[in-house]
Amino acid sequence: MDERNITFMFYGLAVAWGLLALYAVLLGLRERDLTKQLDTLKRMVEEKK
Amino acid sequence: MTMLRHAAVIATKDLRSELRTKESINSTLSFSVVILLLFAFAFDPSPDMIAEFGGGLLWIVFVFAGALIVNRSFARELPNDCIDVLVSSPASGASLFLGKALASFVLLAGVECICLPAFGILYNVTWWRSLGGLIGVLALGTWSMACVGTFFSALTVNLRLRELMLPMLMYPILIPSLLSAMMLTNTLLTGQPIPSDFTVWLRLLIGFNIIFTTLSVYLAETVLVR
Amino acid sequence: MRTKIILALGAITLPFLLRNLHMIIFLVPDDLEQGPVYRIFYYHLPPYFVAAMGYFTAMVASILYLVKKDQKYDAIAVSATEIGLAFAAVNLITGMIWGRISWGIWWAWDARLTWALIGWLVYFGYLVLRRAIDDPTERAKISAVLSIFASASVAITYKAIEWWRTQHPGPVLSIRTGGGTLDPAMENMLYENTLALLLLGAIFLLVRLRQEEVQREIDGLRRFVHAGN
Repeated sequence: MDERNITFMFYGLAVAWGLLALYAVLLGLRERDLTKQLDTLKRMVEEKK
Repeated sequence: MTMLRHAAVIATKDLRSELRTKESINSTLSFSVVILLLFAFAFDPSPDMIAEFGGGLLWIVFVFAGALIVNRSFARELPNDCIDVLVSSPASGASLFLGKALASFVLLAGVECICLPAFGILYNVTWWRSLGGLIGVLALGTWSMACVGTFFSALTVNLRLRELMLPMLMYPILIPSLLSAMMLTNTLLTGQPIPSDFTVWLRLLIGFNIIFTTLSVYLAETVLVR
Repeated sequence: MRTKIILALGAITLPFLLRNLHMIIFLVPDDLEQGPVYRIFYYHLPPYFVAAMGYFTAMVASILYLVKKDQKYDAIAVSATEIGLAFAAVNLITGMIWGRISWGIWWAWDARLTWALIGWLVYFGYLVLRRAIDDPTERAKISAVLSIFASASVAITYKAIEWWRTQHPGPVLSIRTGGGTLDPAMENMLYENTLALLLLGAIFLLVRLRQEEVQREIDGLRRFVHAGN
């Protein structure tokens, strides 16, 4: 019973950190996507000139 | 008060237009009866079971019917840019909203008046024993649906997936009032008066109505003016 | 400049979080009844505070947007809501895991849990609504209104616990109960982890805000580039 107790504690802590890390990854992915779009557009502006 | 007068005019217009075509009422009524039927197949309830969740069942039917009715509320103004005409009329956004909410309330109440006897017949429930209380609770719950539903109808009128977004946004926000209405209706359907610890639900229902009616009336102008 | 702030915050927050984790696993005393599993509490209640702050910030930003019509308030509203949702998800799921051991069930339909779920759904609906509107001004206005409705809804949530009996543990923090039913060491750890997670939330918020600005720059450039064609 006590072992199960500690196991669930680790699940809980892992879930907490995991979800927050997941959100950080999501932010990172969006960052990369936005940077790519921005670079493409800046290039197009340069070409326009 | 001009606002109430304008609201009355708009409510009358909506009701008259709906009663002439009856398109929304007919489909909503048949839809509601079908759901009652489906629940009978799903649960095959005994009288004891009905005493436990009859109120909840009834309100689920009303909620589905409600979504259909309030969806039409602003959607019917889309063809021919009627909505722009209404917004630019002397009627304020608040009276426009109130009028439509009133019309939805009346239509929904009409549907409920037919569903209740149907429910009584199909499930063998004598629902008229606490009629006064029942009508009161139904009125309060129906107003909360009409008010919040009409407001979200205005909010989502221009969106692509309106029919899907309206219920999705509306239902979670309506949960406190639906919960209260279900709890109260359950007790009232069994003919007993409301027990003392259930008055919280009544207070919640009334409080919800006051808060969201105020919010909706206040924000309606913002939402409708482009 | 902002990048420097974000990096500086990150330099403080990450060690802080790790130090807290170490303390939570090893140093904080055990709960007599529940055993070690109660330590999930340190990642259950603080995220709730952060999420609540996020939602509150979103509500204030939404009201400010409707009053001032400045797009930056819309950016704050959406960023704060997103971060609130992330931390609220942590709150919900850690709660479920903790409940599975403490009460034997993954879920109970008591007032507070139910409302946490409803709140999450309401704010998720806010994000879904935003996706459905293309025009930035219209989107900002409509989502500001929805955010105010959502906040009213969530405010009723907060009251709900005082109106119903629930299965959820009652208030344990000393600021709420006067004397406190919680060991001071545990309570301090709770506040420390709240601070750490708030800092983390602030970092997320700043990053997300910057992304909103970049998005607006992209929209502007796109209009410029396609205007000549």
